[in-house]
Amino acid sequence: MKSNFILKSLRALLYLIVLGLTGCSIGPAVQPWEKETLARPEMTFGGDKLDTGYTEHIYSSKEAASGGSGVGGGGCGCN
Amino acid sequence: MTSITKTTSNVVSAAIVTAAMALPSLQFAYADSAPERGIVSFKYLNYQDSQGSLSQYSSSSSSSTSTSTSSSGNVHSERENDNNAIWIDTISGATAVATSTATTPTVVTPKTLSTSTSSTAHDRISVNAYSVMALVPIAGVWSFGTTYISDSVSGASPTYHTSGLTTMHDARQAVDAQLTRYFSSGNVSAGTSYSKESDYLSRSYSLQGSLSTEDKNTTFTLGGSLTDDTINPSTMPNLNAKKTTHAGLIGITRVLSKNDIVQLNLGYSEGEGYYSDPYKYYDNRPGHRNNTTALARWNHHFEGTDGTVHLSYRYYSDTFGIRAHTLDTEYVQPLQNGWAVTPLLRLYTQNEADFYIATGAAEKADPTVITAPPQSATYYSEDQRLSAMGALTVGLKVSKQLNHDWLVDAKVEFYEQRSQWALSGKADTALAPFSARSIQLGISREF
Repeated sequence: MKSNFILKSLRALLYLIVLGLTGCSIGPAVQPWEKETLARPEMTFGGDKLDTGYTEHIYSSKEAASGGSGVGGGGCGCN
Repeated sequence: MTSITKTTSNVVSAAIVTAAMALPSLQFAYADSAPERGIVSFKYLNYQDSQGSLSQYSSSSSSSTSTSTSSSGNVHSERENDNNAIWIDTISGATAVATSTATTPTVVTPKTLSTSTSSTAHDRISVNAYSVMALVPIAGVWSFGTTYISDSVSGASPTYHTSGLTTMHDARQAVDAQLTRYFSSGNVSAGTSYSKESDYLSRSYSLQGSLSTEDKNTTFTLGGSLTDDTINPSTMPNLNAKKTTHAGLIGITRVLSKNDIVQLNLGYSEGEGYYSDPYKYYDNRPGHRNNTTALARWNHHFEGTDGTVHLSYRYYSDTFGIRAHTLDTEYVQPLQNGWAVTPLLRLYTQNEADFYIATGAAEKADPTVITAPPQSATYYSEDQRLSAMGALTVGLKVSKQLNHDWLVDAKVEFYEQRSQWALSGKADTALAPFSARSIQLGISREF
């Protein structure tokens, strides 16, 4: 069933990330002088704050789920 | 009441257990040091959504020229009267329901209603918004950030399922501010936000901290927030209903390689107060809503193309019975002369809330016949946003770094939501598909 397949894929992705977080690095610890790429804006999780603000607000007013990336921020009467 | 097959996905059962240990709190985990430069950004948003009528409705239509079910009345001061007014007669004040603090207006069956008959999509809500952000470094170890947003919303909105439209308009203004102190191995940030609409006031306070290991390859983040809302629907201006939410988040961010960074955030939130929608028929929701989220993100840089892919998955679960999965992907491709293009794809699915009332047979045949909840139901809602559905977003962002200081960007997104796309739960296939498109234009300057 396609839904099972998709859910399984999502689960695999989650496990993969959890695995990475729990210490199974791909290689040896990354040294400070190797972090030039990681310092690029597109490699951070912050993103474009105003863009994210609009997008999360739209989704939270059209779907039941919301949140996950942070705490705080005002509620609204849209949901 | 709709019978429900709950999604007992194992996906995040482990994560939920972990989340039970989570303390209230947090935001993103990164930024080991104060920003070197200040930044001021401006962004404009234009949003328009639309919803079709299902073809099965066409046969029962009384007029093929009517573009929507026009209705309104004293529903809401923001909703204007028109000639086809239906009356949602509400009692002034509130009625306590069951053991919760939820309140609900008493709904009277509409007297007249004209129906939508076309199978084409009709415009519903349109939004124009402006926002400004400023981030200022202070003395090398502090930063102060603030955002202001003003939006104007107008259009038509259903009063049950995807029918019974009322026109509305409202304006919202919101401001937030954060003060952050940076240390050699982490940072602490305090924030507050304030948002005001004609019928809704929200205040929020948050505190978060992050701590990095000595090699800066692992960062732990912890945060908490308190949100205090006051609701005064225009139909019940003295209601003064409250909603209080406590939220917490715990996160870990880890550098896996010089081209890979991953993050896992577990969130928990407990809310109590008024959750019903005072502008809908048959809407009485529980007086509390707790939710759990697990968000996993992975950024990978491709040396071959110099591009970066962002992959994220969020699991959401709440005490309304909603289980939702969100998969987000985007790919940032830098080009020559400061240009960059970012295509994006988002997939979303949710099952219906435990108390969602699906479209009944009579309403399917004639959308003016509102499905009544069963007598025995304590809680009920016919809000399409609480139904089982799936959604797809495709988008493209283009940006150009003009010089050392200036950046401009433009983004367009298309969104489609359909009950048939629900991966779990019981789809209410009588709901009309919903679509939206948004355009953003931004400009930003560093100092």
